[in-house]
Amino acid sequence: MKKYMLKRILFSIFSLFVVVMVVMVLVYSLIERNVIFQTDDTWNKKSKNDRIIYEYTMYQKYGYLTWTDFSRFLETKYKEVYGSEYSKQSDFLNDRNAIQKIDSYQDNPSVQEFIAKYTAEGYTIRYLEPETYKSGRVKPGGTGYLLAIHEKNPLLRLVDYVKGFFTIETIHDVTDPELTDRYTRWEKDPYSGLFAHVGSGTTHKYLLYFDNRFPFIHQNRVHINLGVSYTTYRGQEITSVITSPAGELAVKRQQYPAMLGTDQYEDTAINFHSLRYNTGVVSEADMQKFPDKYTIYSYHRAGLSMLENSFVIGIIATIIAYALGLPLGMLMARRKDKLADKLGNAYIIFIMAVPSLAYIFMFAALGTSLFHLPYKFANAQVKVLAYVLPTISLSLPSIGSLMKWMRRYMIDQMNSDYVKFARAEGLSEKEIYNVHISKNAMIYLVHGIPASILGCLTGAIITERVYAVPGVGNLLTTAINSHDNGIIVACTVFYTSLSIISVILGDLLLSKYDPRIKLSEEGGGGR
Amino acid sequence: MTNENPAITAENQDELFRFIDSDTISSEKITAPRYSYWRSVFRVFFRKKINIAVLILLAVILLVAFIMPIFWPYVPFENVTDPKSFNLSPSAAMAYYGGFSFKWLLGTGNVGNSIFYGIISGARTSLLLATICAAINMTVGIIIGAVWGYSKRFDAIMLVVYNIVANVPYILLITVLVYVIGAGFWSFVFALTITGWLAIAYFFRTQVMIIRDREYSLASRCLGTPVPRIISKNILPFLTSVIVTLLATELPSYISYEVFLSFIGVGLSANVPSLGRMIQEAQTAFLVFPWEFWPPVIVASAITIILYLLGQNLADASDPRTHM
Repeated sequence: MKKYMLKRILFSIFSLFVVVMVVMVLVYSLIERNVIFQTDDTWNKKSKNDRIIYEYTMYQKYGYLTWTDFSRFLETKYKEVYGSEYSKQSDFLNDRNAIQKIDSYQDNPSVQEFIAKYTAEGYTIRYLEPETYKSGRVKPGGTGYLLAIHEKNPLLRLVDYVKGFFTIETIHDVTDPELTDRYTRWEKDPYSGLFAHVGSGTTHKYLLYFDNRFPFIHQNRVHINLGVSYTTYRGQEITSVITSPAGELAVKRQQYPAMLGTDQYEDTAINFHSLRYNTGVVSEADMQKFPDKYTIYSYHRAGLSMLENSFVIGIIATIIAYALGLPLGMLMARRKDKLADKLGNAYIIFIMAVPSLAYIFMFAALGTSLFHLPYKFANAQVKVLAYVLPTISLSLPSIGSLMKWMRRYMIDQMNSDYVKFARAEGLSEKEIYNVHISKNAMIYLVHGIPASILGCLTGAIITERVYAVPGVGNLLTTAINSHDNGIIVACTVFYTSLSIISVILGDLLLSKYDPRIKLSEEGGGGR
Repeated sequence: MTNENPAITAENQDELFRFIDSDTISSEKITAPRYSYWRSVFRVFFRKKINIAVLILLAVILLVAFIMPIFWPYVPFENVTDPKSFNLSPSAAMAYYGGFSFKWLLGTGNVGNSIFYGIISGARTSLLLATICAAINMTVGIIIGAVWGYSKRFDAIMLVVYNIVANVPYILLITVLVYVIGAGFWSFVFALTITGWLAIAYFFRTQVMIIRDREYSLASRCLGTPVPRIISKNILPFLTSVIVTLLATELPSYISYEVFLSFIGVGLSANVPSLGRMIQEAQTAFLVFPWEFWPPVIVASAITIILYLLGQNLADASDPRTHM
């Protein structure tokens, strides 16, 4: 069994890599990259060489390639010699102007140095010839450029991505030589009253701590880096985008670390568990409030994070679906071809056949006009009510599908020998259906339970759009529309991992629920 | 043993019984009534009155969707230069264009387009899309699924392929393909069918595997029946009702899928009339301009329900156990 699981997990990791690879090829190589300029006004305004330079800048920003140009090379070269005054030196000016002369630029020793250096590193050299009028004056946007461009190879891109996937904080993370006292230890946490694992020399101060926010135990030691957003969230890391709370600041009376032990208090929303090391200069005000250089923080916010929003809606919808769908399916099977069955079938046909978009809108119109429930998420006066319509909308299709399958499997079981035997034994119909048949029918359904629970983490595309829920469901679709390749890859990894984990968990649950089902061929001898 | 009936002698025995030649042709004849599988399928199918009604409804929709656009061509951007014609309710539109006309029966859309003509042309697109995609995906999926379920070596390869392709987000794949080959009708068909068959093939594989190891298939294999014959004569006929059930869910699913993809902005290009696009354009203001939103929703729902009902009832009828 252990060997089997190990094999499954290794195989799953392999297919995860291949999926990421395929997606990387799809988004980085198959899509014409210039589509990002289709609605870009800056690109339209620029012309000639300036436009090409702008294109390369954007391509680098979107993660397609890395590039550098000759003047940046000169800058580092002459900075070493002349310091920050380099740009006034004639050597620099001569070299920089060399590329504006088409006939002689290659004779310039700095140009040769540049070409040699970057060709050796695998860059391609591109020379953009200056465009001038007959008088010799440079046309607008026609300045000459010498570029070195490095296209990322898909395989290397994958290797780079996987390398940066996990980061673990150590006490040597902070390179500041001023910090001499490096340690990790358990200390009493003044903000929760419990114990916390505290580090010095690590990026975060609190590595493991407890507080009153779900899931109550938090850690800052291991970070999963799914990828960086290029456009929609401007350079933020995806995991922090989807897990950081949103909404208004939650201000409360707190003490800054330096105030601890005194009776000084201040109203602030700072989350003191999020303190990070400040590698720059600490301001005067911060020096008085903090005893050390851990002065970068984030805030407590009243709202939920994107992931929490989606998960709350999803998990309640799933619970509703199982709590309603299974009993209704059982009822339909018991009353086969009677009124209850016919009504249930009508509902199933409606849910299966009508486009989900259509019935979600129908439901939204019904809920807002009849019960005056809030329609758009942000407009809700009472925050809890905002979750009602999305949750019920999301549970409608799952109820239908659970009803359908529960009925089907129960009916399939109805003529089994054990049912006849139970009847012969004189068991009541109620007991036969509710205990024996439903238990056997559930065998087919338990496999899907982990998938439906973990699936809540991916959010719901239509429901979240219709009710404008700030959740994770539309992360992928908006990323695709804005060509945010970092998010696309991150979403793929996230979704694929979830689906792989839920299949494995489903198999385990199935073999636990029905011990007759064995996942691996075990050796003989009835072990 | 003594002869109990002395009256029957060797002579009169010849008069009572005559030798006849064995007739090879009539010995092959079976005196049971002629049985045709598909004839009895349709007999059971038409026994239900609701099926006839639904079939007539489908015929009407097909006729309207495929013939009326010839007389009532839908031009989405014909009034785009006239802002006064935007978002007019049916009565306002008729007043604006001077009296009753079918064209303005359901008012105008957000660029002054005729909602009624749009729905008819959109229904045609949806029906065409569903039929073509279902035909391609079902054919490829069933053929590959049958081989996949039968051959264990092919199974090992295909499972790897399936695990990878099924995990690439479907929306991403379709979007990328639409970007690469353009947003026309046929590229949309291509995007929906390039990997769409895989799920059908996977479902079908499991079904084939169940039948593959039944005793009669084993017997056929022992007698040396070639594999294609086992697949086509032993396995596929057993799965007819499964195939029809699959068709019943596949056909309407493409209409829903087109609506969904248009909603998230990956649909057909703007010059192809489509129900999904109309719903997507009207959804932001569905409380303000209900005549733009509900008609395409109702038509899309009606078509999917009709196709689903017909398919389900045909699937029920195609199960030979209901033919008694």
